[in-house]
Amino acid sequence: MAIRNLLFEHREVAGIEEMDVYEKLGGYEGLRRAVTLERQAVIDDVKTSGLRGRGGAGFPTWIKWNGIPKNTDKPHYLICNADEGEPGTYKDRELMLKTPHLLVEGMAIAGYACLGTAGYIYIRGEYVEPAWQIRKAIDQAYKKGYLGKNIMGIEGFNYDLYVHMGAGSYECGEESALMSSLMGERGNPRLKAPHAPLPVHEGVWKSPTLVNNVETYCAAAWILKNGGAEYAKLGTERSKGTKIISVSGHIAKPANYEVEMGTPLLDLLKAAGGVTGGKLKAVIPGGSSVPIMTADKLDKINLDYESCAASGTMLGSGGFMVFNDTTDIVLLMKRTSEFYMHESCGKCTPCREGTRWLFKILDRITSGGGREGDIELLLDICSQIDGRSYCGLGDAAAWPIVGAIKAFREEFEYWIEHKRSPIGDHAVPPTPVVVNPLLTLTPA
Amino acid sequence: MPDNRLTQTEASLNPAVTQMVNIKIDGIELQVPKGENIIESAKRAGVDIPYFCYHPRLSKGDAANCRMCLVDVFAPRRAPDGTVSLAKMPKPQASCTLPADEGMVIVTDSEAVVRDRKGVLEFLLINHPLDCPICDRGGECPLQNNAIFYGAATSRYTEEKRHFPKAYPLAENVVFDRERCIHCARCTRFTEDISGDAQLGFLKRGADMEVGTFEHTAYKSKFSGNVIELCPVGALLSRSYRFKARPWDLHSQRSVCSKCSNGCNIKIDYRLDSLQRINGRINEAVNEEWTCDKGKFGHSYVSSEARLKTPMLKTGGEWKAIDWTEALQILVGKLRDANGSVAGIGGQRCTNEDNFAFQKLFREVLKSNDIDSRVEGYLGSVNKPLYERFGYHAMGNAIAELEDMKTILVLGSQLVDEQPIIYLRVRKAYRFKGATVINAVSSVPEDSPKVGDFAQLELVYKPGTEAALLKGILSVLSAEKLASVNGFAKGYTLEKAAEETGVSAEAIQQAARLMATGKLAIIAGREVANHANHLEVVQAIGDLAEATGNAQNINLPGEDVNSQGAADMGVLPDFAPGYAPLENPGKNTAQILQAAADGSLKVLWVAGAKLLEKFPNRELAQAAFASDTFIVVNELTMTETAQAADLVLPAASFAEKEGTFTNCERRVQRIHKAFDISLEIKPDWLIFSEVATRMGGGGGSFFSARDILKAISAQVPAYAGLTAKSLGDEGVRWNYPDK
Repeated sequence: MAIRNLLFEHREVAGIEEMDVYEKLGGYEGLRRAVTLERQAVIDDVKTSGLRGRGGAGFPTWIKWNGIPKNTDKPHYLICNADEGEPGTYKDRELMLKTPHLLVEGMAIAGYACLGTAGYIYIRGEYVEPAWQIRKAIDQAYKKGYLGKNIMGIEGFNYDLYVHMGAGSYECGEESALMSSLMGERGNPRLKAPHAPLPVHEGVWKSPTLVNNVETYCAAAWILKNGGAEYAKLGTERSKGTKIISVSGHIAKPANYEVEMGTPLLDLLKAAGGVTGGKLKAVIPGGSSVPIMTADKLDKINLDYESCAASGTMLGSGGFMVFNDTTDIVLLMKRTSEFYMHESCGKCTPCREGTRWLFKILDRITSGGGREGDIELLLDICSQIDGRSYCGLGDAAAWPIVGAIKAFREEFEYWIEHKRSPIGDHAVPPTPVVVNPLLTLTPA
Repeated sequence: MPDNRLTQTEASLNPAVTQMVNIKIDGIELQVPKGENIIESAKRAGVDIPYFCYHPRLSKGDAANCRMCLVDVFAPRRAPDGTVSLAKMPKPQASCTLPADEGMVIVTDSEAVVRDRKGVLEFLLINHPLDCPICDRGGECPLQNNAIFYGAATSRYTEEKRHFPKAYPLAENVVFDRERCIHCARCTRFTEDISGDAQLGFLKRGADMEVGTFEHTAYKSKFSGNVIELCPVGALLSRSYRFKARPWDLHSQRSVCSKCSNGCNIKIDYRLDSLQRINGRINEAVNEEWTCDKGKFGHSYVSSEARLKTPMLKTGGEWKAIDWTEALQILVGKLRDANGSVAGIGGQRCTNEDNFAFQKLFREVLKSNDIDSRVEGYLGSVNKPLYERFGYHAMGNAIAELEDMKTILVLGSQLVDEQPIIYLRVRKAYRFKGATVINAVSSVPEDSPKVGDFAQLELVYKPGTEAALLKGILSVLSAEKLASVNGFAKGYTLEKAAEETGVSAEAIQQAARLMATGKLAIIAGREVANHANHLEVVQAIGDLAEATGNAQNINLPGEDVNSQGAADMGVLPDFAPGYAPLENPGKNTAQILQAAADGSLKVLWVAGAKLLEKFPNRELAQAAFASDTFIVVNELTMTETAQAADLVLPAASFAEKEGTFTNCERRVQRIHKAFDISLEIKPDWLIFSEVATRMGGGGGSFFSARDILKAISAQVPAYAGLTAKSLGDEGVRWNYPDK
């Protein structure tokens, strides 16, 4: 188990973003095969593959596809969540930039299987170049008849694909907030089951809606081309196939690595060239929202959903961040909490008030104002946010801090006691440049 | 136009099933409708769940944001082998949006829930200024109450709080304290769900989030006052009440708003003898709990300095204050000398008791049938337009019945100005019940809210062509065989209607098709009421209603607070109380004014009617007031009409007297005396009664408003059996005996 390029098979091929090159290398064969099957057979193939959502939660993809009602007269909408905002994650960017046709093909297959009327690719606003590539690919797919009316000569298979650019909100990567934003509303999360119907029954514009991540659609294209059984051969018992991991931080070769599920974490670390600038201190395996892991625990972690969960962290979206021993964890958490404070939509009390409180305390500690009891207070605030917020953003803001305190409590204590970084002079932060005037409020 | 109807997502407001499910709350087993929000089920069980953002009348899509109502939930799980076991949901759930389902077990008193509530309150208070001692809401504040019951004694927050300038001018009548806001989204949802103008929203995000209008323009609404009462903290404040009183210093009296015929239930909050504010009072059949801005902020006149406090006599063009003895002496003398040449106008702004005493005085003591309560619009026999054909006079539907309509046609009305509470019901029918609304009107104002904002179809016709439009619709119904149409519209073509009205033929066709789909209510407004050919328009409305099978769904609501009651009480030239026809009908308002102008009328008594301001033929009204006729006016202040009179008697406002009003849907509702401005001010009925007594009594002498109500219930068939007790707090809607 190690690097295994399925989706990235052709990423180094020059011109792969063009239709002719892509087709020459077997592109759109998945769609061709799909339309020869019954719609249910396509979903069954995805079921066979064991594909699980690649956006972070790991929900079985086929259940969503299968959940779309087959006998409504309402339009069916398919959404691709390309609002890749999780700090440390940049896999969707590369997929869209290098192999946009893979995503278009995957969405066309899903459109076929789920009787889609229209698909929307919701791309984060900062991803200008990927959006160009996707737009170009969509144009080429229309010309070739892979999108539009009576696709591939199939009577009644009408399916349009649109690109919708986000406006810069992390929260809009959350499925329901994304739907609000797509409909032109404020990017706030919406009620979820059991409080409201599932999106597959009532999503955007009160119609059945399928929401999947970029990588999931791309994997679906691969699965339909090569067969679900082929995909299921890879990975562990419950985590099938491959996962793209975006490696960043103190690492020799930061890049996207597509690994087979179940690959030992240290193997990936080795493949990426190992730690630079010092000794390995910690790894965040799944994006900034998941708990940090100390170096001594890493040998037990494999890169799959179950193994990560067993170790008290998550595979998440695959934002793999490596830290060497020059890293000040408290400063890292201050920066992390600042991010969540800034990105909280403000809808619910715990997240709106709690994230700013967390940041203010961490800011005070790292400005030399730490007090006894601050650590307990941080933990308490986190427990008041975690599971109590309206959507997952609150949880995502609380987990990393709880994880960091659990793993590196002595560093927090050092800051509070000595009013300076335990790492050394070089890590003492410069005075932050304050952009948001509200943050100028000095701690009491 | 985007469809903002909520029928799909509001299972709780619009139950598709009446299935009952068994749930358990804190060990109490109960049956509740499937899909009911758990917070409502808890109320049934008598279990208190605290909340801020939840409101039963607001959509739940944006609720569940305060997280105060979190509870632990155990739901039955079916294992693959078929066994059912209870499993705790991993996260606590917001009970305000959680639909009840079979077998659910709710726990609201666990340690975790207690801790969650403390946590949420701690969060809410970290940026709240805690300036309760100077806050209007202090003493009646949900945040205070919940903090006392469920919060921690102290806060652990030692950082800087969020600061904003106080009293941001949000609307004409509403100021906004952004520091106190807890972002519950009640106000923003109100503008979207209830008033329909969707002006308030959230700006910025995270802890910087604040309520505002989208471009920081003024919040211009006709229902802005409701957000003050909805606000669970002191963030939205009434400009006129701000810093005026503490809630515990106020006395509160139940009453009915005097500003229009909808009859909103209100509370008059007062200190000593001055009115401080008006708040809505719940009456599900009328205003639910809303008020309009006219009602909420329009009652400052009650305690104003301009109120008349003694009778005023005009001598030689100068006003002189006189006492009641002298005033009554002069008045009785004039009435005696007139020897029956007396007439009365007004009563639409008085109580039923005032009106009853008014007509008693004229009919039985002064022996004159020349009284009329109507000032504008149609002045013919009130039985003609609707009663003779359909058996009712004004509104076929109760206000609440409008919710059940499939289609609602609003015809010739700026509904939001004329009938604000009916407007809210129409909007509710649209938003929460899926009704389709058609607005036919001759001019469209720019300001929101208005019916046109959510009407499926807006037909803007040339002024005065209502009948042509209706006939056009009928011709479509007939041509497309959507309904059987009688002879009225025969020979009338769609093209002709389109040409006459200026509405496109397609629009008329669409309207006709929408109207033929089921229950249709027609609400006609001022343009119809004041139409020169009122009878013709009403006949066309009747034809349309009859053709579509909705003969009982025609609504021509009056506009003044008691225009319905005044007619019921027989302040009409041709009907005694209860619409009993008179053998020798008297003169109507126009004829009375003509008689005065001609010099053939000796005394004209105007009971609160604004003749000079409102009577359409102003020259005639002026001529009447300029004549030798002795004119006596009961008024609150020196209005234009009062200025032109000879004797002005200070009358009590609705806040200073007992009595009943009958609203446009024929609901008889009690008002209660809150305070006295001055002992020299008398309710109208007492003035009439004292004159009757001095003139020799007859049937016109009464001792109290309740005394008159007794007489009314004995003498007016429709009001038979109504007593102060049976009317209760919510009133009784009288019905025609044969229905």
